[in-house]
Amino acid sequence: MPGAKFDIAYVFDYFPKLLSTLGLTLTIVGWSILLGLGFGFLVALPRLYKVPILQRVSQVYVSFFRGTPILIQLFLIYYGLPELLKLVHADVTRTPVLVFVVLTYSLHAGAYLSEMIRAGVTAVDRGQVEAAYSVGMSGFQAFVRIVLPQAFAISLPVFANLVIATLKDTSLAFSLGVMEMTGKAQTLITLSQHFVETYIALAVIYFVISFALEKVFLLLERRLLKHDRRETDSGKRFGWRRAPSLRGLLAKTARAQEGRSRA
Amino acid sequence: MIQLSRITKAFGRHEVLKGIDLTVGKGEVVAILGPSGSGKTTLLRCINFLEKPSGGTVAIGDFKADGKHPSKKEIHALRLKSAMVFQHYNLFRHKTALENVMEGLVVVRKIPKEQARAKSISVLEKVGLGSKIDAYPSQLSGGQQQRVGIARALALEPEVILFDEPTSALDPELVGEVLEVIRRIAKEGITMIVVTHEMGFARDVANRVVFMDEGLVIEEGDPKEIFARPKEERTKQFLKRITPEASYSI
Repeated sequence: MPGAKFDIAYVFDYFPKLLSTLGLTLTIVGWSILLGLGFGFLVALPRLYKVPILQRVSQVYVSFFRGTPILIQLFLIYYGLPELLKLVHADVTRTPVLVFVVLTYSLHAGAYLSEMIRAGVTAVDRGQVEAAYSVGMSGFQAFVRIVLPQAFAISLPVFANLVIATLKDTSLAFSLGVMEMTGKAQTLITLSQHFVETYIALAVIYFVISFALEKVFLLLERRLLKHDRRETDSGKRFGWRRAPSLRGLLAKTARAQEGRSRA
Repeated sequence: MIQLSRITKAFGRHEVLKGIDLTVGKGEVVAILGPSGSGKTTLLRCINFLEKPSGGTVAIGDFKADGKHPSKKEIHALRLKSAMVFQHYNLFRHKTALENVMEGLVVVRKIPKEQARAKSISVLEKVGLGSKIDAYPSQLSGGQQQRVGIARALALEPEVILFDEPTSALDPELVGEVLEVIRRIAKEGITMIVVTHEMGFARDVANRVVFMDEGLVIEEGDPKEIFARPKEERTKQFLKRITPEASYSI
C-alpha cells in the first residue's frame, strides 16, 4: 500500500484544513448555478417558443454539454477559448483560472437547467395560461405569475440534483490548478502521504454538505407544493387533465418497476 | 353589446367557421348549441382572441377589433371587456380560491389589494364558496372549482362573460350546483354567451338560442320556439338526438 501508515488522527487534523477552502468550492457552485440559470433560460426560451434557427443552436449546445465529460469541457474551455479569442485580438492570459472554471460549470449546468426549465414549463397546462390571458394578463405576466412558480415547484427535485451534482463536479477543478477542496486535499497528500485519511475527511465533508442541501431542498419542495398536497395524498395525481410532475412520474416509474418485479 | 361580423376561422385548410354574424344585446343570455365540431367553442374563443379569427370583426361595447390583424392593444382591450369560464375550470393551481379571484383584479385592473380582497370574498360568497376561500383547487370538487372559475370571471365585472361548456367536465351530480349559480347571475342582467350541451338550461335560462352546424349559424331565435318548432331539418335532427325529452315537450 502506498503512503504512510494509517493514522485516524490525520482525518480530524485535516478537517479544518480542508474546510478552509470550502468557501472557494461553494463560490464555484453558487456562481455556476446562478449563471447556469441564466444560460438555461436563454437556451430554453427559443425551444419553448420554437424560434426557428436559435432552436437548433440550443439543441446543439445542450447535446454538446450533456454528451461530453465535464473534465474535457474544462480543458477545452481553458485551453481552447483563449485561442479562439486570439482571433478577435482579445487577450485573456491574465484572466484568473477561476473564471474559466466557473464558465465551464455554468455552461454545463446551463445545458441541464435548460432541459429542466423546458420540462417544468411544459408541465404547467396550457389552460391556465389561457385563463390568465382571459382575465387580461400579458404574455409576460402570465409567464411570471402563473407558469414560473408552478414550473419551479415541479422542477425543484431536478434542480436539487443538479446543485448537488455541481458540488461534486467541482472536485475536478483542481485539474486546472484551482485550490478548492479537492485541490487542497491533493497538496495535503503530497506533503504527508496520508492518502486514505485525507480522502475520508474529504468524502465526509462532501457528503455532509450534499446531505444538508438535500434536506433543505426537500423542505422547500414541501412548501412550494403545498397546493398539491391533498391531491398527492388522495392519490388523485394521475387523474387525466392534471399537470404531470416529476414527482408523479418518478412515483409512477417506481410503481411500474415494483409491479414488474412482482410479476 | 357584442357584435361579431363575418367571423371566419381556418386551421390550415380546415375551415371551422365560415362567416358568422352574431349580435348580443346588453343583458342578453345567448346559448350556442350544436353538434361537436360545429365550431361553437372556436367562435367563443374568437371573441376574446384566445383563437385568432382568420377574418371578420369583433366588437364589444364601442370597441372594435379587426379579426385578422388585431394589435396587441386591441386584443388587450377586448380581454378587459370580457371574461371566460372554461370547460376544465383552468384555475391557477398554485393559488387559493381567493387568490384566483383576486389575481385579475390586482394584477390587471390594479385595484388595491384590500379592496380586491373584499370584492373577491363577496363574489365567492355569492357563488356559495364563502367557507372555501383559502382552499386550493386540488382541495375542491369539480363543481366547486367551476364556481371559483365563475367567481373569477364575475369579479372582473366584464361586459360579457363567455361560458365554454361550463358543465361538460363535471360529474353528473355536480352539474346542478354550477347551473344554479349561472342561472342566478343570469337573472342579474349580466350579458352571457354560453356554449352548452345542457338543453334544459338553454331552454329555461337563455333569452335566445343559436344553433350552429359546420361553421355556420343554422337557426336562431327564442328558445321555447326553437325547441318546440325547429324550422331547419338539421336543428330537428340534432334536437332529437341530443334531447329525447325535447320531442315530448311540444
